[in-house]
Amino acid sequence: MRIAWLVSSGGERTLATGGSVRRAERFVPYRLLAPALAVELLLVLGPLVVGVWYSLHNVRFFRVRNFTGLDNYWRVLGSEEVLNALRYDFRGRTAAMMVIVAVMSIPIASLLVPTFTLISVLGLFDTRLGLVLLYTAYQLPAAIWMLYGYFMSLPVEVENAARVDGCTPLATLRKVVLPLSKPGLVAAALFILVFAWNDFVVAVTMTSSEATRTFPVAIYFYLGFYGREWGPLLAASLVSIVPIIAVFVFLQRYFMSGLTGGGVKG
Amino acid sequence: MSTVTFEGVSKRYGEVVALDALDLRVEEGEFVSLLGPSGSGKSTTLNLLAGLMDADTGSIRIGTRDITGLPPEQRDIAMVFQNYALYPHLTVFENIAFPLEARKPRPDAATIRAKVERVAGTLGVAPLLARYPKEISGGQQQRVALGRAMVRDPKVFLLDEPLSNLDARLRIRMRRDLKALHHQLGSTIVYVTHDQAEAMTLSSRIAVFDHGKLQQYGAPAEIYERPANIFVANFVGDRETNFLDGTLEAGADGLVYATALGRIPLGNGGATPREGRATRLGVRPEAIAVEPDGGSDLRVVLTELAGADLFLTVRGRDETEVVARADPRAIRITEGEGVRLRFDAERLHLFDAGTGVAVRHGGG
Repeated sequence: MRIAWLVSSGGERTLATGGSVRRAERFVPYRLLAPALAVELLLVLGPLVVGVWYSLHNVRFFRVRNFTGLDNYWRVLGSEEVLNALRYDFRGRTAAMMVIVAVMSIPIASLLVPTFTLISVLGLFDTRLGLVLLYTAYQLPAAIWMLYGYFMSLPVEVENAARVDGCTPLATLRKVVLPLSKPGLVAAALFILVFAWNDFVVAVTMTSSEATRTFPVAIYFYLGFYGREWGPLLAASLVSIVPIIAVFVFLQRYFMSGLTGGGVKG
Repeated sequence: MSTVTFEGVSKRYGEVVALDALDLRVEEGEFVSLLGPSGSGKSTTLNLLAGLMDADTGSIRIGTRDITGLPPEQRDIAMVFQNYALYPHLTVFENIAFPLEARKPRPDAATIRAKVERVAGTLGVAPLLARYPKEISGGQQQRVALGRAMVRDPKVFLLDEPLSNLDARLRIRMRRDLKALHHQLGSTIVYVTHDQAEAMTLSSRIAVFDHGKLQQYGAPAEIYERPANIFVANFVGDRETNFLDGTLEAGADGLVYATALGRIPLGNGGATPREGRATRLGVRPEAIAVEPDGGSDLRVVLTELAGADLFLTVRGRDETEVVARADPRAIRITEGEGVRLRFDAERLHLFDAGTGVAVRHGGG
């Protein structure tokens, strides 16, 4: 649905300006990618690198025994063609977006072990900060993808107008693109919030003390060793729904459509 | 206010050459239209000047300053976009004030208010200052976009088909307003349009583009009366130019062009085209006078009354057709009648049929 809408709005722009030739360059979304990618690299690709390192070795209990080369991969993939397919010659932006999509497709469960190691090394195990950083990193690709789509749906002429009127790329982002992107920002924020609020697996892995426990983990502890306290468990579950609903209701007005209406004609 | 100079500017998109080695100079205070069909390179030229695209080769100067590599915000220009590109989240006042507030040093609030109100007064949008773009009409949005460009005193104004989204009546009124505005501001304006009538009425000079190449650059009268090639002759003018194929012959009274519609005297003077090249005669409808003649082979097959003018499509025996203009009050003619044509030698253009380049214009 969303994609269809983006595609159709892009098509209209091409028509209105008489062919793709006229389309001026878009500056803003790519600028935003840089810091996002940095965080991304550190927190998602960092564990990935650890994972790659481990995958190339014979590993027992997080101790690297001996270098095994690509043996582990051949066991998994079985062929060289898969690797060849990855050697595409992308230009910068396409490559960046491909990385983001690729990262999005990595199941979190497969990252848990290397992430756990990284978090421990950084001294962030069993801290709220550790969880915050992890949730940010996990959801960043999806958020970038959503916002990228939203930014691209804004009329490029409005950005161009801001540049001609004297705005640097960053000022264009701040004064024009972000104010117009409120619905997209809110949608992305809710998306991340819902994930972080509901997450169980990451929270249960990265925390140990009662003080840092998140709601889903706390609820899980009603399932004790000696018995199941169904009453408090269900009560807690229901209570945990309330804040999310409250946030949705509060932010609903930002989902207004037609925020960009009247800016451009044709 | 400043001059604009393009020197050897090219732009390609992959295999497509959007602009081929453009040399163009706009003098201070001139109103120059870039005219051409879509994909001709006129909008590319404007975007290169605005800094919204980067040139592959060549240099662009505003005044004496080389701006080829500068980002748009450092070029000291103002631009009106085809679809206005107003900031939808800002009021009309904030839209017009935007270029003042985006730049440093930023004027104080009182100065901004005074400037915005003056511009809004000039353009007749003063009562709308508190509204949002979506709450005003298309014509009003257009004026706000103009106001946003006028509020500063930029070196050059760039207008990208600003009238093409208005209805016909409003467009003609805005055309007049734009011209008055240019007289009043005296600023250098580069104006992109595909509407030849707009270019003719507004410009000090017109640059005609086709296929990424500058075809002709000159005053409207020169473009109209001495088109450099077949493309220009055909593109400029309300009605299409008639093109007749034939052969050149030497007559008693100068050159004669023999066509299916008869022998057309080209008059004395003017260059004699080289022998042996195929030629084509360009005739605008107003260069043909029509007289009723029952005995003629030429028949009127279609009459179109366009208010002040009557356009007659005349067909010869071999299906060759020309369109001629007549004064509807001076001539009574119905479809099917025979006519005689008289060609005004002063207004005939001879082109090389192969290259399309003009080889001879009537009247010298």
